[in-house]
Amino acid sequence: MWHALKAELAYFRPWLLGGLGIATGVVLLLSVLMRFSTDEDGPPAFLVAIFPIIAGMVVSFIAGSYRIEERRARLLLSGALTPRKLAWVTVLLPACFVGLSVLAVPPILGAAALLAGKFEFSLSPTAGTFALQFWAYAQLGPLAQESSAARRQHRGRAGLLGWAVFAGVILVLAGCQFFLRSTQGHMWQVMAIVAAIGVAATLYQGRTDFTR
Amino acid sequence: MADHQPNTSPAASLSGLTKRFPGFQLGPLDLVLEPGTVLALVGPNGAGKTTTLNCMAGLVVPNEGVTEVFGAPVHPTQTEYRRDIGYVGEENGFFQGWTAARNLKFLADLLPGWSNDRANSYIKRFALPLDKPVNKLSRGNKTKLSLVAAMAHGPRLLLLDEPTAGLDPVVRSEVLDVLWEITEDGEHAVLYSTHVLSDISRLADELAFLRDGKMVLRTGRDELSESWRRVSFRLANDDVELTGVVEHRRVRAEHQVITREAEATLQQLTDLGAEAVEVSRMTVDEIAVQILKEGHHVARAES
Repeated sequence: MWHALKAELAYFRPWLLGGLGIATGVVLLLSVLMRFSTDEDGPPAFLVAIFPIIAGMVVSFIAGSYRIEERRARLLLSGALTPRKLAWVTVLLPACFVGLSVLAVPPILGAAALLAGKFEFSLSPTAGTFALQFWAYAQLGPLAQESSAARRQHRGRAGLLGWAVFAGVILVLAGCQFFLRSTQGHMWQVMAIVAAIGVAATLYQGRTDFTR
Repeated sequence: MADHQPNTSPAASLSGLTKRFPGFQLGPLDLVLEPGTVLALVGPNGAGKTTTLNCMAGLVVPNEGVTEVFGAPVHPTQTEYRRDIGYVGEENGFFQGWTAARNLKFLADLLPGWSNDRANSYIKRFALPLDKPVNKLSRGNKTKLSLVAAMAHGPRLLLLDEPTAGLDPVVRSEVLDVLWEITEDGEHAVLYSTHVLSDISRLADELAFLRDGKMVLRTGRDELSESWRRVSFRLANDDVELTGVVEHRRVRAEHQVITREAEATLQQLTDLGAEAVEVSRMTVDEIAVQILKEGHHVARAES
């Protein structure tokens, strides 16, 4: 499983690096603009942190669609991987992209601070909320795919469960907008992410068709 | 191919295999494929050839029935059968942006039994360009890559879905040669689907005709060509019912028929006093076309 996950990450690395490059460019541009055209020292840290995480989320969507188009399940099922392992590769991939993009936040913050001439890295809890939100959106990709696949494969109840959890996650994320800074809000978001991952993995394992 | 313990089980066996889709049902199919056999699944588009192969490869879970490969049950959750299967489909799931070499390296770590020597011998044989990304390879080269990937771990059963479709004659010939050599040792079996009928006479020992999800006929290639004939004759009697005839054309007293029971038809013509009887052999391809045209009618008659 790890071999397959590593290969997928290596395959999509150019997309991730490209996305992070664009995010860095936007952040640096913002820093320069805000320094010279406004009285601000630069964009707030939480805003700087959001861009790379959005990049990770977008790359996870791209990877999901490429994997379907390239029929990756066919290749991986020709080896010793079981649907269970395949499911984990599929649901962990978005988490890896978002996680790697979080790792890119400190250097981007540093670069933005250099340009702004301000060296304060106080990330408010709002940044954590946004990071969790984008991670949750990224995990909705595999969940939506597996819910659709279940409906296509006439696994009606599984499909319904998938879409119900999908709607539930959206509701939780919407509700958390009112508790942006609270620990409780963060906890709800984490639970929503865990539910999205768990249900998507379960639906994947129940597939009756692995040709796409 | 890899060394395996002698196994008395059939290379593949399907028992009551059924897969239902809206508006289409495959099966129930029963099929036994012995080692050393090349079986061609022949049928028009939508006959169920690809679904059959996908079920046998464990990519599609059937609604009913049991599939075994060398005695091991086929199901996506099982892995034992997979070392015995090499599958070539229209799309094999390669990393399209990676070179052929990188894809093969990935598979080498993924597939138990992978032999680099074996892979290299096929690469050399097919003159496969390794340094190009898969999405830049021609269709022929993609098929070659699929074949190398399918055969390098030494499977005893090759499942090939339209392996020669879209290939130029030279590449097609190379592919067929390799497949033929693989089965020469009598331990390996090939099941391939095709609608390139000229491949049948070159490679297949046996043929299974699929139509609308049902197997309408399974027969040996030689048996088939022995019993089918094209016969022309002159007979004044218009209203004649001939045994085994699947196609009958008549212009005045001149008749031309295609029969799947040549002996019985000729005996009948002799009894009726037919004149100028000329009998010609039919190629396997021509016979296949007739069977597919006749479909259920032939199946009923054969059974």
